[in-house]
Amino acid sequence: MESAGQSFRRSIRVKSESAQLATVRDFVDSVGVELSLDMERIFDLKVAVSEACANAVEHAGRDGAFLEVEAGLEHRRLTFTVADSGPFRAPILPRQPNQSRGLGLPLMVTLMDEVCFFRMPGGGTAVKLTVLI
Amino acid sequence: MLMDLHTTTLEDVPFLHVRGEIDHGTCASLQTVLDELFDKGHTVVLLDLQEVSYIDSGGLSVLLGGVRGLRDRGWLGVIGPNANVRRLLEIVGLLVDRSFRVFEDQKVAEAALSQRTPA
Repeated sequence: MESAGQSFRRSIRVKSESAQLATVRDFVDSVGVELSLDMERIFDLKVAVSEACANAVEHAGRDGAFLEVEAGLEHRRLTFTVADSGPFRAPILPRQPNQSRGLGLPLMVTLMDEVCFFRMPGGGTAVKLTVLI
Repeated sequence: MLMDLHTTTLEDVPFLHVRGEIDHGTCASLQTVLDELFDKGHTVVLLDLQEVSYIDSGGLSVLLGGVRGLRDRGWLGVIGPNANVRRLLEIVGLLVDRSFRVFEDQKVAEAALSQRTPA
């Protein structure tokens, strides 16, 4: 584990397509193992980051688009940032009680300590998913 | 790891064996198989999740959709989800749904099947 305050950065860039979600999860897994997180916490991070990526793929995906996923640790706050280059998307809430879709955001919020959505200067969307470790 | 899916029967009930990761990229095949079973009139379906290491909102949506389709008519049962998968089933509300059942292992599922009242 890195000591508090010490900077830690890892990143991966993948094509914005659902077949790459497993690659992103492997990346999250490797970061979690490197930081000696427990398996449950790693699983939660994999779900949340993968959901953010899946949203980006679904709503911003176009041929040739990429997703940037960066992990950063500062002051015991581990943040994964998922950034895409598509148009800005507000987070999607479940629309109806009987609606099966829209589960991604509730999962992210439940599993993470902080979830933030940003409009990027260039117009894309960034989602920051933070856990305190 | 990708998802692998094959179907057998347990007693007269469709029994889906799923292995690997059920995510947005792989859940469509599970959806297709479930839809076909429901179209054929099956009202009880079992899924073996013992070899499933990961599920995301895509896979959870498929399960929720199946459960909603069976409401008041039957149930969807899963066998042996690992602790992490089980936590997600709980978060999305499946564990408190009357049309969804969780069994620790196949033996318990078989016991539940044998206790069904004849239609």
